[in-house]
Amino acid sequence: MTETRPSTPTAPTRRATLRAAGGGALLLGLGVTGCRSAVSEAGSPAGEAGEAGKASTEPRRGGTLSVAVNADFTPSLLFAQSAQSLQQRLIYNTLTRYDDRLKPQPELATSWEYAKDGRSLTLALRTGVTFHDGRPFTADDVIFAVENLQSPLRAAQLRATAAVVTGFEKRGDHELVLKLAHPVNNLFDLFEFMIIADRNSVEDAVTGKRLNGTGPFRLTRWSPGSGLSLRRNETYWRPGRPYLDGVELRVVPQADALLSSLRTGQSQLSFSVPGKNLSVVAATPELAISQYSTGGGAVYLGVNTTVAPLDDKTVRQALAWAIDRERILKQVLGGYGLASAAPWPKSSPAFTEAGRTHYTHNPGKARELLRSAGHTRLDLPLLHVNLPGETAVAEAVQYDLRQIGVHVTLQPTDSAAAQKNLISQNMPGLWTMGHGFAQVQPSTLAVSAYPFNEAKNTSRFRSAAYTKVVREAWTGPAEGARANALREKITDTLLDEAFIIDLAIRGSVQVSARKLHGVTLNKFTYLNLDDAYLAG
Amino acid sequence: MTTLAAAQKAPLDSRTGKPRRPRHPYRAALATARGRTGLGLVLLVVLAGLLAPLLAGHGPTDQSALALAGPGTPGHPLGTDDLGRDLLARLLHGIRADLGIIAVAVPLGAVLGCLLALAAACHPLADTVVQRAFDLVLAFPGLILALAVTAILGPGRVPVILVIALAEIPVFGRLLRTGILVQRGREYVTAARVGGTSGGRILTRHILPNAADPLVVQFAVSLTVAVFIEGAMSFLGVGVRPPEPTLGAVLSQSMPYLAQAPHFAAGPLVTVTALVLGLSLTAEALSREIRR
Repeated sequence: MTETRPSTPTAPTRRATLRAAGGGALLLGLGVTGCRSAVSEAGSPAGEAGEAGKASTEPRRGGTLSVAVNADFTPSLLFAQSAQSLQQRLIYNTLTRYDDRLKPQPELATSWEYAKDGRSLTLALRTGVTFHDGRPFTADDVIFAVENLQSPLRAAQLRATAAVVTGFEKRGDHELVLKLAHPVNNLFDLFEFMIIADRNSVEDAVTGKRLNGTGPFRLTRWSPGSGLSLRRNETYWRPGRPYLDGVELRVVPQADALLSSLRTGQSQLSFSVPGKNLSVVAATPELAISQYSTGGGAVYLGVNTTVAPLDDKTVRQALAWAIDRERILKQVLGGYGLASAAPWPKSSPAFTEAGRTHYTHNPGKARELLRSAGHTRLDLPLLHVNLPGETAVAEAVQYDLRQIGVHVTLQPTDSAAAQKNLISQNMPGLWTMGHGFAQVQPSTLAVSAYPFNEAKNTSRFRSAAYTKVVREAWTGPAEGARANALREKITDTLLDEAFIIDLAIRGSVQVSARKLHGVTLNKFTYLNLDDAYLAG
Repeated sequence: MTTLAAAQKAPLDSRTGKPRRPRHPYRAALATARGRTGLGLVLLVVLAGLLAPLLAGHGPTDQSALALAGPGTPGHPLGTDDLGRDLLARLLHGIRADLGIIAVAVPLGAVLGCLLALAAACHPLADTVVQRAFDLVLAFPGLILALAVTAILGPGRVPVILVIALAEIPVFGRLLRTGILVQRGREYVTAARVGGTSGGRILTRHILPNAADPLVVQFAVSLTVAVFIEGAMSFLGVGVRPPEPTLGAVLSQSMPYLAQAPHFAAGPLVTVTALVLGLSLTAEALSREIRR
């Protein structure tokens, strides 16, 4: 009891009042001047895949590249595809990598040969490769990598494909035969996806304590919430690579802060700029936009088929007809991508124009379908990731659904929790997210991606017919008339059952400083900076 | 009720020579230029919020293909946002939403804070418990408290109200407790006690009215703080759920477009500034008159 007299609260003085009044104006002023300092010339048109990455000058050694990301590295999802996978190919290598035509190219595997019956594959492994701790890479590391993905603990999307490998035959340290339970046509998707991690420190890796790989950079620090710091691996197996001294992956969750980071030169590369903000980037002469035309992901509306009345296919189809995909593409994705009712990007062998345009914006038809299912009004929850781009998609979907009498309550959720719900099939009636896996072999989408997995998907959709056609497509040949027919069947099933309602295919959109060259991504959005350099 | 104002000697009226009845400080405050300006600004904003359904020609969540249209676009006097929503409608309904929140949250915090202060005044043990509880809440800065509450409850209107109320409870509680302690030592309280008035009646009928003036000023200050807290929470994405507009949410959405479409941010910025300025001027005018 030290207070002895009542004190009238300190009312704001004139100075404080003026300060408060000026605060808002200052905020606006700072924002406008800060932005305008970098916006004085006409913008650059969007380039095609990796245009900005093409070298126009001699590679220069040195420098640290700062990459702005909107989500932090999640070590527990190191062996699954998570919201943030850029670091995978920086610290680790994969066995092979796809070229633009889905033809595998050597990485840690230098050559391969299928047995005639398709039930085994012989891999020749690269010699002279060492992990960051100096231990040599051998066939045992590949065996471990496959077995590691077979474990349910790793929650790897390509677990089903890894599980097809039922035996290993080592022929020395650098030749390995993988024995398969049955032929599959997406084994090289697994090799593109599967990072080769040090088997002795894998438990440290999934807690983020120590990431030991064979990749071009070694981890020096992970600061949760801030990002990763990487330094050049001086003993990298590619002579003279990488050019960069180091890479910083900086977590910048706010879209405007991320944009400012790029425009002010604090960061030189990002794949996380929301599509609707790309017009601002296009007006910044120091920055270039490149699209990876293979499609790095798709925006979709997921439907939990165990929640009434979404267990009725007609209701789900009504939702699919209600959404204006072109508007979402234009307003939310900035026009970068492709409005599509089917999951396939144009580069996929499963892509058809008929599939892409199967559902168009037709609220009248949607209302009619809803009425035929006995509903005039529905109230449903919709989960979305609490990031600006994702929120905008959810708001657009919410508005379109309201036009047909479906009233949606948004449930903003952080990225890690949303991913957890996706994996554990614990989604509410509706959700919007992005999915990958349509950019590789079409069968991979249906046996691996959480939303589409025929055996266990987030929508809890089960169908013997779907399983049958997926299994046939997976174990059959990758090319030919039969393969095409099976892919078409998968597409038809997805469109008819509408448990995943695709909205738009968005390629990975790269925003980079013009002085940055040689950047590439693999099909699973692993950043490859082997040949990247910062021009002077 | 005993009031200190009545106990003081009133000045004489120059015309009649009789003691002039003192003007109530609240009325005196609102008669000053500062008070009038402040109240005018607040009323303007409040009126805009109350009349939002009449003034706005569109629904605040109605989307269209016309994204980022500039001010003066036919049908959209302030333009549209990135999803083609009318900015005037979102601004007016945003004011309405903000006012709805602070009109519940601040009185709630004030009432709870005052009740706790009264409880604390009744018993030394209660005083210790309440003071430590206040210390606990005050140990968390407003935004940390906001993030903690929304981490448990998720984003939404109720968590915002809860955060603001929680932040205000110790402010009002401490203020009233201090006032009670001071008034309790005054002679009129002793006289009332000697006259046989019960403790409860002394507290509510004599002490409370005399300790209330600072609370009125604090109320105006707290409204200002509440506008900031709501705005900050919505700005950080832990406020009211989208697509419902609030001033902070509209401001947050506009940030990436500052260079491209500055009008997007102008509406909420000007409104927040006017509201905060108005409340601050009103609070200052009240404070000056009460201290006089």
